[in-house]
Amino acid sequence: MVDNVMEAKHVFKTYGKSGKKKQEDEQFTDKEHIVEAVQDVSLKIKKGDIKLIFGPSGSGKSTFLRCMDMLEIPDKGEIYLGDECLTSKGVDLCKARARIGFVFQHIYLFRHLTAVGNVELALRQVLKLPKEEARKRALDALAEVKVSDCAFRYPSQISGGQAQRVGIARALARNPDIILLDEPTSALDPELTGEVIDTLRDLAKEGATMLIVSHEMPFAREVAEEMIFYDEGKIVETGPPSLFFNAPNTDRARQFMTRIINRTTR
Amino acid sequence: MDVWAHFIILMEGVPLTLSISIISFLIGIAVGLPLAFVRVYEKKVSFLVDVYEKIFRGIPEIVLLIIFFFGLRPLLPFPFGDPFFVACFVLGLRSGANQSQIYRGAIRGVGDEQMIAGMSVGFSKWRAIWHIMVPQVFSYSTAGLGSEYALLIKDSAYVYVLGLAEVMTRSLQWAKNGAGDYVTPFVIGAALYIALTFPIAFYLDRWGNRRKRKIGL
Repeated sequence: MVDNVMEAKHVFKTYGKSGKKKQEDEQFTDKEHIVEAVQDVSLKIKKGDIKLIFGPSGSGKSTFLRCMDMLEIPDKGEIYLGDECLTSKGVDLCKARARIGFVFQHIYLFRHLTAVGNVELALRQVLKLPKEEARKRALDALAEVKVSDCAFRYPSQISGGQAQRVGIARALARNPDIILLDEPTSALDPELTGEVIDTLRDLAKEGATMLIVSHEMPFAREVAEEMIFYDEGKIVETGPPSLFFNAPNTDRARQFMTRIINRTTR
Repeated sequence: MDVWAHFIILMEGVPLTLSISIISFLIGIAVGLPLAFVRVYEKKVSFLVDVYEKIFRGIPEIVLLIIFFFGLRPLLPFPFGDPFFVACFVLGLRSGANQSQIYRGAIRGVGDEQMIAGMSVGFSKWRAIWHIMVPQVFSYSTAGLGSEYALLIKDSAYVYVLGLAEVMTRSLQWAKNGAGDYVTPFVIGAALYIALTFPIAFYLDRWGNRRKRKIGL
């Protein structure tokens, strides 16, 4: 149990169709008006694991990933970080989130801070490192993702690919137990995705623990230990990349793989 | 007395007009900024902020000044016996109600994603607000703050009802002593108000635009 870095047990999360969060006193009983983004999803991640979640858009992958970081509070089920249950009452979620790195699809860098400021902020204000040490670690993290030359520029002054690598550095600098990545490349120009993928490949080589939502199939094939096909709020099929690239067991996964591989080779 | 001597006396009211408006502006920031965040992020008590805003925006400043000064002085001699304190207090609270609305728009403009990103690196809600939202909210709202400041310079004229010797009060005195010329004192007073208002509003606006461009808002 303790060798799991993170574990999700029977997680549920429902939305109103307008995107409105479900309030405690409100009941969405009408099937028409609810989106079941996460339905009874369980998942274990061990140290050094790289797992990749893929599936059609709108199926709830991102919601599930946000539940893992407790950025969305699950309706039901449990999330464990190590042996700490994040869904039980009275847990210090800030401390827990400080141990989890999160990389967003739309990057969300702090716009009023330079690249190094973005990385440094949590080191100084959350981990309470002294100024010089925080600066050094921030610069190291930026060097690791190869954006040292942008360290003193603002997010609006760098390219999307550079910005996303700064986003990865921001998640990385705290030495998190795990990094959750929510479609890190899908908001970027096709020619910028390569540099972000290279960064992720380097991280994978260094043994980082990662849970990635992505459709970068060649990358998945290369680094993922396990691929998870996710559709309509459920895990449909899991297995090594070889399974999905050769003969998935479920029809749904087979269809999806066919479509995605055709698109990539076109 | 000649016009020049009167003008000098009028000018001596400028520091008071400026200090009332600047102090009220700062009180407005101290009140308005937290209220805006409470209104957006603490849904349970946001109606209280709404009530506060309605009261202070709905009652004319001059009425507020009279109620607070003449109404509270018998009950709370200190510090409500001091007209300067009451002037800054009332105009500051009124400005807080206005500024709260300015900041609320700015919070929407900055966007919830910045909060989510802040929480994802380990900040609590209020610390994310302080470290991530507040700096951006200020950059976003400079244009609104410029006009709010101009409004305060103008509203500081109402404090003549408390007998404070600022620009308005001195124009009034000049007009009373000025041998039937009621226009000249107020025209000169008006020119002074313009001179006090525009440089700061202009500068705030320019600074804000530069800053906004820099951070891509």
